Amino acid sequence: MFVEDIKNDFYNTLLGNRVLLLVHYDVDAVCTCKILQDLFKCDNILYTLVPVGGISDLKTAYEENNEEIKFVVLVNCGGTIDLVDILQPDEDVIFFVLDSHKPTDICNVYSDGQVRLVYKDDEENIPNFDDIFRDDEDEEEADENLQGADRLEAMVERRRDRKAWEERRHTLMFNYTQFSYYGKPSSCVALELAVRASRNNAAALWAGAVGCAAHSALYLRPPAQCLLDAEPLNRCLNAQSHSTTAHVVVEKDAWLPLYRWWSVEGALSHASFFTPKLKLHASSGASRLRQLLADMGFPLQQARQAYRSMDVELRRCLLSALETAAPKHKLPIPTRPTFLLHKPHSPPMAALDAVYAIMALIEHETLPKAVGFQKALSALQVNGENEPLKVGITAARRSLEAVARLAHSTLSSRGLLLAGPFNYFIVQEGTSEAGLVRGPLWLGEAARWIATATSGARPILASAPLPDGQCLLLGLPPRYDQEPRNLFGAAFEQAAQKSGISVVLDYVDTSVIVLPTSQRTQFLDALTALLA
Amino acid sequence: MFGEKVIELLKESERNRETLDQYNDEKIRQIIEEMHVLFKLNMNDANATTENKSLWTTVQVRHSALERNKRCLLAYLYNRMNKIKILRWEFGSVLPPDIRELLSDAEYDWFSKYSTNLATYMRSLGQDIGYNGIDLTENLRPPKSLNIEVLCLVDYGKLELEDGDVIMLKKNSTHFLPTSECQTLIRQGILKQIT
Repeated sequence: MFVEDIKNDFYNTLLGNRVLLLVHYDVDAVCTCKILQDLFKCDNILYTLVPVGGISDLKTAYEENNEEIKFVVLVNCGGTIDLVDILQPDEDVIFFVLDSHKPTDICNVYSDGQVRLVYKDDEENIPNFDDIFRDDEDEEEADENLQGADRLEAMVERRRDRKAWEERRHTLMFNYTQFSYYGKPSSCVALELAVRASRNNAAALWAGAVGCAAHSALYLRPPAQCLLDAEPLNRCLNAQSHSTTAHVVVEKDAWLPLYRWWSVEGALSHASFFTPKLKLHASSGASRLRQLLADMGFPLQQARQAYRSMDVELRRCLLSALETAAPKHKLPIPTRPTFLLHKPHSPPMAALDAVYAIMALIEHETLPKAVGFQKALSALQVNGENEPLKVGITAARRSLEAVARLAHSTLSSRGLLLAGPFNYFIVQEGTSEAGLVRGPLWLGEAARWIATATSGARPILASAPLPDGQCLLLGLPPRYDQEPRNLFGAAFEQAAQKSGISVVLDYVDTSVIVLPTSQRTQFLDALTALLA
Repeated sequence: MFGEKVIELLKESERNRETLDQYNDEKIRQIIEEMHVLFKLNMNDANATTENKSLWTTVQVRHSALERNKRCLLAYLYNRMNKIKILRWEFGSVLPPDIRELLSDAEYDWFSKYSTNLATYMRSLGQDIGYNGIDLTENLRPPKSLNIEVLCLVDYGKLELEDGDVIMLKKNSTHFLPTSECQTLIRQGILKQIT
C-alpha cells in the first residue's frame, strides 16, 4: 500500500509513538536517517536506531527490538522483500518503507495497511492486482450445482483459463523482477517531508544534497533522472535566504573527488569516471596526465601541492582550464553543477566529497561498520568543527588510492578475465588493496573504473575476499553510466539454484552476493552457461 | 563581656556558608546559660531598684545584651533551617547518615515534617490533567530538551522505561530517550550522549 499524503499519513501517524528506525549501510540511507532524526528530535518522537547490513541483519534487529514497538520505519531496506513473510510481525505492527531499491516486492505493494510504502515511483510498472492474485474458491463453489457434461465442460474451461492466467502472471512477474535498479533517492523523499513539516533547515538540505550526489556519483540512476530527482532540492535552495550562517548552493564545480582536500594531480588521477580514459595504467599514462596539466597551464609543482596552498590565480581558473583542456584529450568534461556547502570562515565543501567520506567511513579498513555508521551520521553536521568528516576524507583518499592501484594492476597485468558474455576480475587475498576494497561500495567503484577503462560495453563481475573463506561477488551491468538497470540479481539467483552452490543472497542490493571462495570458479561457470 | 559567645557561634557558621556544620550544642547551652544569668541579675536589680534610679542603666544594658543574644540565636537557627531545606531538594527524603548526624533532634523533626509536606504537595499536583503528581525535585533547572540522543556502548540487555516500554540496549544502537532515564546509565558508561 502506498502512502498518499507523506505528512499526514506517514509522519503524523508516528507522532507520540516510539519508532524503530532500521537503516541500511549506504550513503543515501545515512542522509535520510539524518533528516528523519532531526525531525524526530524536534517533535520528541522517541526512537531506536539500528543500522542493518542485509536481510538477516534486518531480521535480528527486528526480533531484538520489537517489544512494545508498533511503528517501524525502514530506510533503504526491506522494500524488495516480503516483509510480513520474513519478519512475521504481530498484526498491529505497521511498517513504513522508504526504499530506493527497486523493484518493490508485490506483496508489500498490495499489503492492506501493514506495510506502507512512503513513496510511489511512477517509473515502476507494477502489475495490476488482478493479474497477480486470484481467488479460486468462489469459482469452485459456483459450479457445484451444475450437472454432468456441463460440469465437466466448466471444469475444463476453468483449467484452461487458469493455465492462461498463470502463464500471463509468470511473464508479468518475470518482466517486473528481472532487473534490479534504484528509484528516487530516499533522502529527497525525506527532504520533501521536512519541507512539508516546515523544517527545511541547512542541515536537512545538505543531507538531501549529499543523498542526491551519492546517486549520481555511484551511477545508481541514469544521469537525466538524477537531475530530475534534485528538483525539490533546487526548489528549496532557491527559497532559502542567503544568510551568513551555513547554507547550501548550486554552483558549477569540478566533478573530481576530494580535490579540495588533495592536490589537483591527485584528484585528476583518482576520479573513476575521468581518469580511466587517461589510461594511467599504461606506460604512456603518466605523460598523458602531464600533457593534460600542461594544456591546463598548471605547473607540475603547483599541481602536486595541496590545493589549499596552490596559487590563488590557478585555483580561480581551474574550472575553465579543465573545460578547455579536457576535450583536446577526448576526455569527458569534468565540470557540472554541484551542491556546495558554504560555511562562514571555512572553505566550501562539495557534496561529492561528503559522499566519498561517508562511503569510506561505512566501509572503513579498521573501524567496525556500526561505529563507522555513527561517525558518518555526525560527519553530516553542518555547524562547528567536524572531526568525523576529516577522518572520513583521509580514509576516502586511502580507499581511492587503493581502488586506483587495484584497477591499474588489474588492467596492466591482464587481470581482467574474459568469460563468455562478461568480464571479471578478482581482488587477490593478502594484497594491500584487499583490506580497503572489500565492501560492495568500494568494490563497485573499482568495477566502474575498470568498466570505463575498457569502454564499458560488457558487463563486469568483481570479486573480493572476505574472512572465513568467503568472497564477495558484485555485478555491474554494461553501459552502467547510461542505463544502470542490473540484470545480475536475477541471474545470480538462477545460477545458484542451477549449480546448487550455497550462495548467501543476503544483500539488499541483489547484485551483490557472498559465496565460498572455493566454489567461485564453479559458480562463474554456471553463470556463463546461464547467460550465454 | 556579654554576647561574645554568640558572636563566635555566628562567625563559625559564617565561615562555611555553603555547608552545614555540626549543631553546636555545647555553645548554645552556654549562651542560654548566660542569658539566664543576665535575666536573674536583671530581676534582682529591677526588684531592688524601684526607687534607686542609678541602676536603670545597668538593667537596660543587660536587657539589650539579652535581646541581642536571642536575635543572634534565632538567626543561627534560621540560617540552618534554610540549609536543611536545600538538603531536602538535593538528597530527597532520606538523608545520608553522615549528614543526619549534623542535625539536632528538633531540626530532624522539622526536616521530616517539611519532607512530608513537600511530598503531599507534589502528589497533589497535576491531578486535574491526569498525572499522579509531579516530582518537582527532578529538574531543578529547566532542562534544555526532554529527550536526548544516546549511543549504546556495550551489550546491556533490556531496559524498562518508566512508562512500561522495554527497549533493547545493544552495542552501537542509537536511542532517543527521556533524559531522566539515561542519566544513571550514562554515568555508568553504558550509554554515551551524542549531540
